[in-house]
Amino acid sequence: MTDQVAAKQLMDPASRDKEKRKKARKNFWTAMLFMLPAIAIIGFFLFYPMFKTLYFSFFVVNSRGDTISFAGLSNYLYLWESSTFRTSMKATFLFALYTVPTTILVSLFLAVITNEKVRGIPFFRVAFSSTLGVSVAAGATIWLILLHPSVGVFNNLLAGIGFDRIGWLTSSTWALISVSITTIWMNLGFNFIILLGGLQNISEELYESARVDGAGYWTQLFKITIPLLSPTLFFVSVVTIINSFQSFGQVDILTGGGPNNSTNLIVYSIYREAFESGFFGTASAQAMILFALVLILTIIQFKFVEKKVHYQ
Amino acid sequence: MMRKVIIYILLIISAFLITFPVLYAVSASFMTTQEINRGALLPSSISFDNYVRAFTSVPLFHFLMNSFIVAFGVMVAQLIICSLAAYAIVFIPFKGAKVMFFLFVSTLLIPWEAAFLTNYITILDFGWVDTYTGLMVPFFATAFGIFLMRQQFMTLPNELWESAQMEGCTHFRFFLSFAMPLSKPILSALGIFAFLTTWNMYLWPLLLTNNDDVRTVQIGLKMMISAETGTNWNVVMAGVVMVLLPTLILLVLGLNHLKRGLTQGALKG
Amino acid sequence: MKKLFSLAVLVILSVFLLAACGDDDPEVEMTDDGKRLVTFWHAMGGGPGEAIDEMVNSYNESQDEIYVDAVYQGSYEELLNQLRAVGGTSEAPSIVQVYEVGTQYMSESGFIEPLQTFIDGDDDFSVDNLEENILGYYQLDGDLYSMPFNTSNAIMFYNKDMFREAGLDPEQPPRTFSEVQEYSQQLNDATGEAGFAILIYGWFFEQLLANQGGLYLNNDNGRSAVADEALINGEEGQRIFEWLNEMNEAGTLGNFGRQWDDIRTAFAAENVAMYLDSTAATRGNVEGADFEVGTAFLPVPDGMDPQGVIVGGGSLWMTNGIAEETQEAAFDFIKYTADPEVQAVWAGATGYFPISPEAYNNEILQDIYEEYPQFTTSVDQLQNTTLTPATQGALMGVFPEARNIVENAIEALYQGEDSQELLDQAAADIEEQIERYNQQQGN
Repeated sequence: MTDQVAAKQLMDPASRDKEKRKKARKNFWTAMLFMLPAIAIIGFFLFYPMFKTLYFSFFVVNSRGDTISFAGLSNYLYLWESSTFRTSMKATFLFALYTVPTTILVSLFLAVITNEKVRGIPFFRVAFSSTLGVSVAAGATIWLILLHPSVGVFNNLLAGIGFDRIGWLTSSTWALISVSITTIWMNLGFNFIILLGGLQNISEELYESARVDGAGYWTQLFKITIPLLSPTLFFVSVVTIINSFQSFGQVDILTGGGPNNSTNLIVYSIYREAFESGFFGTASAQAMILFALVLILTIIQFKFVEKKVHYQ
Repeated sequence: MMRKVIIYILLIISAFLITFPVLYAVSASFMTTQEINRGALLPSSISFDNYVRAFTSVPLFHFLMNSFIVAFGVMVAQLIICSLAAYAIVFIPFKGAKVMFFLFVSTLLIPWEAAFLTNYITILDFGWVDTYTGLMVPFFATAFGIFLMRQQFMTLPNELWESAQMEGCTHFRFFLSFAMPLSKPILSALGIFAFLTTWNMYLWPLLLTNNDDVRTVQIGLKMMISAETGTNWNVVMAGVVMVLLPTLILLVLGLNHLKRGLTQGALKG
Repeated sequence: MKKLFSLAVLVILSVFLLAACGDDDPEVEMTDDGKRLVTFWHAMGGGPGEAIDEMVNSYNESQDEIYVDAVYQGSYEELLNQLRAVGGTSEAPSIVQVYEVGTQYMSESGFIEPLQTFIDGDDDFSVDNLEENILGYYQLDGDLYSMPFNTSNAIMFYNKDMFREAGLDPEQPPRTFSEVQEYSQQLNDATGEAGFAILIYGWFFEQLLANQGGLYLNNDNGRSAVADEALINGEEGQRIFEWLNEMNEAGTLGNFGRQWDDIRTAFAAENVAMYLDSTAATRGNVEGADFEVGTAFLPVPDGMDPQGVIVGGGSLWMTNGIAEETQEAAFDFIKYTADPEVQAVWAGATGYFPISPEAYNNEILQDIYEEYPQFTTSVDQLQNTTLTPATQGALMGVFPEARNIVENAIEALYQGEDSQELLDQAAADIEEQIERYNQQQGN
């Protein structure tokens, strides 16, 4: 070690600079080499397609990806005027409204009750996180039979207690709710795990001192748990909203976007426009709208989290 | 005491409600068609006929293998590629490290569902339709993985690298013999997460697989639904159980790792 | 060590680049044992799917030069989506089964090789052996682009036991719209279940329209010139919607959604007494029911003679992205499927019609028709059909979308929206889709 320092001191400033630059250059290329695979994949399958999709959204494009003619803003104008697209956007937002708050409240409830110190908790934690291991295809298939008009458990239950059967997936009023219930169930596992992790990060001493001060269960919950969990809650809510905007599989399996487009969520609408109708241009315009929505939501999250980090 | 009873009651009711769909699927996979049509909740006898039929009516075993190959491939590649990139950002001082990190993280803003149209055309041009390569390669690197590994590497003391350097250790050597082994818990969290998400993928394999050679089990399930639902819900449910089994086992075994990893990724952002 | 690493990266990169430059010249694909490989995508699940596997197996065993690989791709719609994604590339299959309304789209898609080219070059094969009503649908300007494969039409199935329970004569099924209404009221009163149901599938609307002689599109249903106007909001369409609406308001109409299996399950579970289905359901319905199943012609509005039905089902298309030797092999298999004997077995196993009249003389089929007299309803209905532009069926490139639009309109009707407004809107939406399609095609 001392040898090296000594050697450096012996050199004149010019060659020391040269040495430094050489080192920097070497470091740069080593770093690039390390990052090359990641850059290649992410650049090629995320950055490039975003620009290409943006480009496509201004053209009439066929399903081969050939641009037929320049369309200007007409793809966007078409969407603006299309009642189908409006229905689809409405369904997308309604779906977010149905699923996001419910998922978070339910998983918060589950996290709070499993943060208690009682015997057998590991078992319940596994049970509550189990839906993380349920794929969208398998989950939706199970609900497809639970909600089946004639053999489904739900309708049998209703018929058993003397109510009319409900067209869970065939009536425009119920279909979106049914898809939402399925989605909430599937998302519980992930949210539960994150919220539980957040709860366990809260220091036990805080609760102890609160108890010394005579605070009851509810006071502790609302004065300590919820405020300290708020960054996690916010993270979870943004992730859940973004997830809800990206839902596809459950729609494909349960309803195919129907009845009367009432469950035609945006990703399904993109898929249909591109692969069922072959209009890649308008599908790309829809994809850009989805991108913009997610972008706005994520920016809000980053801003918010920044603030939270400061005050903690 | 009273409080404990209430907690237990809540726990048990919630556990029942949440696991009910999966329990019903398991139960229905043993029922006869008549029992399903009648709306029974439990089978009258246990027979594996539906499983036999599920494995013979569609190449379910082959589908499971396909899913396994794809999920395992993506998992290994993600662990290596994301760690390499994160290592460079943390341990190699170079101009633009911050910019690169920002660029990587900014891809969190790009929803895959907005990019899949163009990616599909790319894969088509490459001739990668109906290949494992096409199913796997786009997912070899994720912003989440790089981010998670960066958080982990930052917890390793820099002195470790400095002294290793004195011993004449190269970056690659240090990466292999120190950085990676010291990050085992986070690596397993990322690995489990990558495996689960790839195993559960739906939209991409739906577009990309047109024959049974590469079709993943999720799409196989969709095929089963359209071919069998009229009469054989029990067979479809047997298929569902076979799809769920690997991921549920993985989840039970790796839950604690996964929780730690996800919480770290979520909270330290 | 570092050298090794950079080498690895280089390898990854070059694999990446090489793959991008793969050449697109079609090669003759061979199986491991040296046979020409023909991939065949179809949309037949369940019983018909098994029948296809049997047909393909016996073809593969009948000769040793060609191997046909049949792959199930889900519903017609799902299959077409998959095909759109790879059509025209070397990833495309050699033969695809496409439903009848995809005919125009396929002929203009640029993915396909018109079969007429091969038929003209083959002295042994003649289209004269095929049923005239079926050819009427699939011929475009006198050329046959695809080989009719599974043809069916829509008939009414009814539950004779429920008829008896409601005091109706099980041998006198309803023939007109108002009879269907009366019967379903009586059935509903007696059993508490739905009297009548239609699957929410555009095909049934098309059939009921054609049976009144109504056109779907202008320019003779798009057959004399490219259509640019939808006529579904005329009086014929209006009658159908009003009829459905009245039964819906009376609470005698069942809604079982868009899934074929759901409505069939409902019929088998006696949740509905009468419903419309494809003839292809005949065998399944008769065998799966604990009650006596009757079949009847499609109903017509009162005081009108039935004009007949449109040939439904699917046909086999040959793609053009494959090597010529593969195309020849594919044509050999397609010819095999049209063979009267093969058709007889196929028709007997499924309930589709044979495409060649000769097959009716086949013993296998005669035995089956004797065993299941329900089959003959659809055969009679097809043979009673007069060939007009209405019963020839409409042609347009956006038919799948048009169906979806009509299906949405029916679903909105069931929610109580105004039938005339819905039909007007649906017609306008279809016209818009046609316009966008033409723009895309560069027409």
